[in-house]
Formats: sequence, structure tokens, C-alpha cells
Amino acid sequence: MPIFDFFHWDKDKGYTLAETGAIIQVNVGLPAALEQFCLRENLVIPTPISGYALIDTGASSSAIHEQIFADFGVQPINHIRMSTPHTKDQWSFVYPAKIQFPGLALLDAPILESFQVVGCDLRWTTFDEKEIIMLLGRDLLKHFLMVYNGVQSDVTLAY
Amino acid sequence: MESDDKIRGLMPLTVELQTFDLMRADLLSSHSGKFALIKGEQFLGAFDSAENAYAEGVAQFGKEPFLVKRIAAEDEVYRNQALALGLINAHI
Repeated sequence: MPIFDFFHWDKDKGYTLAETGAIIQVNVGLPAALEQFCLRENLVIPTPISGYALIDTGASSSAIHEQIFADFGVQPINHIRMSTPHTKDQWSFVYPAKIQFPGLALLDAPILESFQVVGCDLRWTTFDEKEIIMLLGRDLLKHFLMVYNGVQSDVTLAY
Repeated sequence: MESDDKIRGLMPLTVELQTFDLMRADLLSSHSGKFALIKGEQFLGAFDSAENAYAEGVAQFGKEPFLVKRIAAEDEVYRNQALALGLINAHI
């Protein structure tokens, strides 16, 4: 079982896990089928977007900043109902995406092709200039063992 | 008053979702748990995975919108109270 440590630290602030939350690098690109279509049709294949995913055990599914799909020209493939304490009738789109986690060295694993994610308005930047573009929810976390070490500002993931 | 087509154009997949709801009972009896591929009012097949349904949709329609939806009695719900409440990036 490969094990990966993500030490959250900044040269000025020291330990940062409590402030930023558990974040790992992520690349978001076109789903494989659409990429192949673009190749066949001689269409431009957008460069994958790099950023950070916030590990969110409170999210049932993973979500990605919706503007990324608009920039890619990727159409939604479904709607999903959002459950909140305030409304029962809010809907979001579901999009296909290819999601890669460079820090996990999972480049050939099937999990990377798990591509149904919710589109949300969630992009923001941490104090140390890390751009959050994704919430990593339980649909992907179910593949991992995770240790959140708040004392040492460290997150361990294994799969 | 806006035409139906114009209203439909404002919300991608509206027609496809209506088609799915109309067909849901029939689909459940024959393809429960699989993924339906629907374009407009046309059901194009049931697939073992969303990826396979999407690949077929792209092969037929390219970058046009189409619906890929799990065939189930109840729709999936996205639950994330922190996101809904705007608490993910709060500073106190």
C-alpha cells in the first residue's frame, strides 16, 4: 500500500494545516473520450488546469470550480440536487472530467478516470497563494486511508 | 412570452431530464443500476458505466450536450453543508 505524506508548512507561518485545511495538488483536464474526439477533429485540446483540492469529508461527492468547464467547452452531463439546511430545490450541474493527483503518483490508476463531479463556484486562494479549485469528497476518499495529524500539520494518504 | 425552445435553450439538459423522467419506470424494469444515454427525447442506450455512456455520447454528438444518468428510483443528492453555507473559507 503506497503511503504519501503531505506536510503543510510555510517558512513564515510554520504549521499551516489548521489554516488551509488538508490540501493536495490536482490537475483537471478533459475526459479521455472528449480528448480523443478533439484529436480526431483537429480541435485544440485545452491544457489541464493545475491547482489544489481541499479534502472535504463533509462532501458526498467531489466538486470542481464550474468556470473551468466553461473555459474547456465541456458540457454538463447531468443535474444533481443540492441538500442544504436552507433550500431543498437548488440544483447544480454534473460534469465529466479527468482528475489527476500528481502528489499521489496515481497516474495509471482507474480512480483518475472517475469523472463525474459537481460544478460549483468555489475557487479561492490560500494565504500562501495556493489556488483551491476542487473539493475532494467521499466519492474519491472511499479509495483511501487518511490520517489527519493536526499536531504535526501533516496529512497522510494511502490507497 | 418566450417560446418553449428559447426556454429550453436557457437550461441545458431540460428536455433530456424530462425524457428520463417519462421513461424512468420502463428503464428501471429493464436497466436498473445502469447509465442511460439520452439526447433530446431519444433514449440511446443503457451502459455499464458513466464513462462508457459518455464515450458513446461523444462519439455520436461530439461537444453537444447530452444526458448521462444512473437509472435508479431516486435521484442522487449532493450533500455538503459547509459549501452551501459558505463556511469552507471562513475567517474568524
